[in-house]
Amino acid sequence: MKNIFKISLLLFGLIPTFSNAQAIEKKTLVLGVKYYNDNNISQHLVIQAKSKVDGKFQKIGNIPVKVYINNENDKNNFIGTGTTSERGEFLLLIPATAKTAWTKSANQSFVAISAESKLYEEARGEIAITKAKIKMDTADGKIVNAKLFVLTDSIWKPTAGVEMVLTVKRLDGNLNVNETATYTTDTAGAVTAEFKRENLPGDNKGNLIIVANVIDNDAYGNIIAETIVPWGKPLVYTTNYNHRSLFARRGHSPFWLEFLAYGIIAAVWVVIIYLVLLIKKIVKLGLE
Amino acid sequence: MDKLKENQIIEDLLPQKFGKLGRIWVASLIAVCALGAFAYGRQLYYGLEVTAMRDYVSWGIYISNFVFFVAISLVGSLITAVLRLTNVKWSTPLTRIAEIIAVSAITFASLIIIVDMGRPERFYNLFLHGRLQSPIIWDVIVITTYFFISLLLLYFPLLPDLKILIAFKERNGKWLQKLYVFLGSYWKDKHAQFKITDKAINILAIAIIPVAFSIHTVTSWLFATTYRPGWDSTNFGAYFISGAFLVGAGGVVVAMYIFRKHYKLEKYITDDHFDRMGKVLVMLALLYLYFNVNEFLVPAFKMKKSEEEHLLGLFTGEFAPIFWFAIFTAMFIPIFILLFKKGRKPLPAFIAGVLVVVGSWFKRFLIVTPTLLHPFLPMHDVPANYHHYIPTWEEWAIAGGSLAGALLVITFFARIFPIIPIHETILETESQENEKHF
Repeated sequence: MKNIFKISLLLFGLIPTFSNAQAIEKKTLVLGVKYYNDNNISQHLVIQAKSKVDGKFQKIGNIPVKVYINNENDKNNFIGTGTTSERGEFLLLIPATAKTAWTKSANQSFVAISAESKLYEEARGEIAITKAKIKMDTADGKIVNAKLFVLTDSIWKPTAGVEMVLTVKRLDGNLNVNETATYTTDTAGAVTAEFKRENLPGDNKGNLIIVANVIDNDAYGNIIAETIVPWGKPLVYTTNYNHRSLFARRGHSPFWLEFLAYGIIAAVWVVIIYLVLLIKKIVKLGLE
Repeated sequence: MDKLKENQIIEDLLPQKFGKLGRIWVASLIAVCALGAFAYGRQLYYGLEVTAMRDYVSWGIYISNFVFFVAISLVGSLITAVLRLTNVKWSTPLTRIAEIIAVSAITFASLIIIVDMGRPERFYNLFLHGRLQSPIIWDVIVITTYFFISLLLLYFPLLPDLKILIAFKERNGKWLQKLYVFLGSYWKDKHAQFKITDKAINILAIAIIPVAFSIHTVTSWLFATTYRPGWDSTNFGAYFISGAFLVGAGGVVVAMYIFRKHYKLEKYITDDHFDRMGKVLVMLALLYLYFNVNEFLVPAFKMKKSEEEHLLGLFTGEFAPIFWFAIFTAMFIPIFILLFKKGRKPLPAFIAGVLVVVGSWFKRFLIVTPTLLHPFLPMHDVPANYHHYIPTWEEWAIAGGSLAGALLVITFFARIFPIIPIHETILETESQENEKHF
């Protein structure tokens, strides 16, 4: 009895030790911050959370993150909060409240911080960008021009040597305007491409959306510009809703089926009616 | 034929009042019907939730019952039309039994379809919004047509008998007399009337065959036009019709035995009738067996992955006991019994008939339900009970009620009208006597 008491005491004494050992094993969380300039109208950030699971980085959901402009030391720099989705990320529009800090400098940085949790250690992610924008126009012969400008000392200056992609917007992704995958801006910050996608279906007027894209640039982040061009094939909406077919709606069955079905029904029911008339004839004979 | 003999035939074949056994039988059927009506009331109040039908098994024993009723109704065309057109005389005492089975079965086939609807008050939408391209609409049209043709085929040969019935005013009672007068007071045994009736019956005998074939072919197409394991078959029309003839003939043998025994009709439904119907049953069972071999052996030989689960479920899986029960009771055992002359005596033939009918009901269940439990796309994230179908008591009560209802119609018909055509029996006895003389 005494022994059982001792063993129990020992076991219960060990439980908190095991619990503490488990609580210590917290994983490292990596926070990534991406910057997007959308058509020179709005800017947003995408915050991503990752952690190593079985030796591989996996996206981590349900991580609350606070986001700051410049740094986290001043509470006025706080621009928003969010929680990562199942895909391990969330999107945060840079709010109007950040205007003062945003307009102060051509160079900006954003800091994302997630507090320590039961499973993960505290994490911090940061991105530093220089403000940049793309201007687009078109020329005769289906030529697309895009120019990249970078804000330097309050002046938008063209920048050379930056990779850019010129695409046409489609439903499930973008299609390159021709066989060239990427372009590099020249000294005038410009790239030029010929649109070679003939007979591409556009909207009902034949309009297509051409997109110029700087993707994940270390200095400028992601910059997107769009312009609408009438180079597509007008989409004529056709429907077989009113066509006669075996799968059509009521009253739209094929003529051959209607002819056959109604023909058979009429033939059989004419016989039935004739037989009813025979009954009438028998009745008449009986009453004579 | 002398008047005495004629009177004896009339006396033997006039409808009789229910005895003690008859009253118990009717009361039992009414009780089953009432239980079915109560269960249906619950289904109307609570919705189809009271059934075991869910997302996958949306056709359960109601539709099995429907296919069974449609199948058994085909017997009207077999006995009345096919045997009449092939000049088979021995079937005369069986024609009315076959026709009333057909009429009652087709009536309850229509009713059970309405029972299967979650919102029966919306039935009219089938006519307002039905598509001519749909086999369901073809089924509605052909069932209605078959019902009217069967009714006419029941009515025309009844006319001369109605005149005989009207003559027994005292025996009939007030209400029955009124009914007979309403239905047949104009029948005067005139030669011209007989001529028209014969013509009408001949037209009906010809017309009912394609309609009867259509009714069961279209019912088979409800399944065969749907791309599912077990239903995706070009054999289905012939498979259904052969099965329908078998269960219909089995039903007639059962009815023959019960009517003969209960109304003491041994002189009219003779051992010879059982012997001949027994041979017909063997032929039909062999035919149905042939179609079953085609229906199962060919897909089992190929054993396509998509059909494997369904076929193995029938042969060795969840449905194997019912499958082999149906195959043996509907085909193998009746064939074995009826192949021997002794097996074609009334009692063994009756037992074989019962086995055919019972086995055929389960065969219809196997056609409808296992397929629904084995869709081409595997079932994912569904409750465990979606993988099985065990009918609820409400479903059993409603299905039982409909079967009892069909039997009740036949029972009341036999109480009101002669179950063996009196006039035709007199004529045939007369002609047999004349043949003996010459």
